[in-house]
Amino acid sequence: MSLDLISVHKSFGDRTVLNNFFLSVDPGAITCLFGPSGCGKTTLLNLMGGVIQPDSGSVSGFASEKKSYIFQETRILPWKTVLQNVVFPLVDLMPVKAAMDHAREFISLVGLEKEEQFYPGQLSGGMKQRVSIARAFAYPGTLILMDEAFQSLDSYLKYNILTSFKKIWEKDRRTVVFVTHDIDEALFLGQKVVILGESPVKAVKIFENNGTDEVNLKSSILSFLNLP
Amino acid sequence: MQLEAVCPMKLLFTKNRIVSLVVIILLIIIWELLSISFGSEQILPGPDDTLLALFKMAGRPDFYTSLGVTLLRGAAGFLLGLAAALLIGIPSGLNPAIEAAFRPVIVTVRATPVISIILLALIWLRVDQVPVFIGFLTMFPILTTNIAQGIRHTEPAFVQMAHLYSIPGRRILREIYFPSILPWLFSGFSTAVGFGWRSVIIGEVLSQPKFGIGSMMQDAQSFLLVSEVIAWTLVAVIVGSCFEWLIRRIEKRMLRWKS
Repeated sequence: MSLDLISVHKSFGDRTVLNNFFLSVDPGAITCLFGPSGCGKTTLLNLMGGVIQPDSGSVSGFASEKKSYIFQETRILPWKTVLQNVVFPLVDLMPVKAAMDHAREFISLVGLEKEEQFYPGQLSGGMKQRVSIARAFAYPGTLILMDEAFQSLDSYLKYNILTSFKKIWEKDRRTVVFVTHDIDEALFLGQKVVILGESPVKAVKIFENNGTDEVNLKSSILSFLNLP
Repeated sequence: MQLEAVCPMKLLFTKNRIVSLVVIILLIIIWELLSISFGSEQILPGPDDTLLALFKMAGRPDFYTSLGVTLLRGAAGFLLGLAAALLIGIPSGLNPAIEAAFRPVIVTVRATPVISIILLALIWLRVDQVPVFIGFLTMFPILTTNIAQGIRHTEPAFVQMAHLYSIPGRRILREIYFPSILPWLFSGFSTAVGFGWRSVIIGEVLSQPKFGIGSMMQDAQSFLLVSEVIAWTLVAVIVGSCFEWLIRRIEKRMLRWKS
C-alpha cells in the first residue's frame, strides 16, 4: 500500500500552510521531513495521522494504517508506571497477559527493564522519551509518526536513544515518518530525507540516504540549503 | 547523601508537632484560667468538668446512637452530594455550554444562607431528613465545582494521545480524566466535608430529630448543661479532624505517583 499526499492544500484562516503539496512515503523505510521551525511539519503529521483533513487534494493510504506516535513532549501518563504506560494502548487489542509480556519485551529493548514499576516522576527526561518509544513500537501498528521526538534531549542522550530507536526499528522495519529540524538526526535515521522549504511548504528536494557516506550527504544537503 | 537529606526533614516534622502540642496545652491552660475567673459552671465549665461530662455522656447508650446517626446523616448527605456532583460536574467540565446551564443553579445554592434552606426544609421534609438535605446542599456545589475544574484542567495532549491510539471513550474517562481530577476531588472532599459536617449538626439543632449530635446539644443547652454542650462540641471537632486525617491518608495513597 503506498502512502501519498497528492496535491494537498491546507490553510488555517488566511495562512496557507500547504499549497499543492506532494509527498510519497516509502513503506518499510524511515522518511525524515527536515525543515525550519514553523514551516508546517506538524501540520503534515496531523494530516497523515488523520487529526486534521486537507482543504483539497488527497491523503491516501494513511487512513488504513494502524498508527503509533512519538511526541515531542512524550505524553506518557504520570499516574501510570512504565509498564502500565506501554500496556495502555495494548489492552484493547490482546489479552492482558499477552499485552504485559509484549510490553516487557519492548521495555527491555529500550533498556528500562529495571524501571518497569517506576512512575514517570522518578525518571529522567531521556528515560521518559524511551518509554514513549517503547509504547510506540509495542503498539502493533504499521506506521510510526514522530514529531521532533528528541528535541529536548542533550546530544549524548539523543544519540543513545537514537541508537536504541534504530535497533528496535531494524527488528521490524516499520514505516516511519519523522519530522525534525536537526540535520544530524535526519541523517542518522532517515533512508530518505525530504527537505522542506519555507511556508507554504514545498518538498524542495529529496535526498536518498544509503548510510554509506553520511558526511558527503550532509555537506551536499548543507550546500543545497546555502549553509556553511 | 540521602540520609542527610532525610534527617533534618524528620527533625523539622517532629519539631512542628511539638509546637502544635505546646499550643494545645497552652489553650487548655487559658481555658482553665478563664473558667476559674468566671467561677460558674453554668457559664464556662473548665476542661476537667467538660471531660467529666464527656465520660458521663459516653456511659449512656444514646451517646453512641446520636454519634452514629449523625455520622450516617453526614455520609448520606456526602454520597448524595458526590453523586450529583459527578453527574453535573463531569459534563460541565467537558462542555462549556453545559457548565453555563448549571452555573446559575450552583451560584444560587452557594449564595443561599443555610438558615433559609433549613427553614424551608423544615416545612418540606421529615425532621430526620432535614440534616441530610442540608449536608447535601452544602457539599454538592463545592464538589461539583472541583470536579468540573479538574476535568477542565486535564492535559489535552494526554487526551489526544489516547484518541490517536484509538482508546475507547470510557477508558479515556477512567484512565485519563479520573486520575487528573483526583487531586481536585480530594481538595474538594476536604473543604466539602469540613463545611458539610458542621451544617449537618446545625440542621440537627434546628430540626430536632430524636437522636443526633445537634439534637443532644440543643437538649443540653435548654437544660443549661454547658459542660455537655462543650463536650459534644469536642466530639464534633474530633470526628471532623478524623475525617480530615482520613481524607489526607487516602489522598496520599491514591496519589502515590506524585511523590
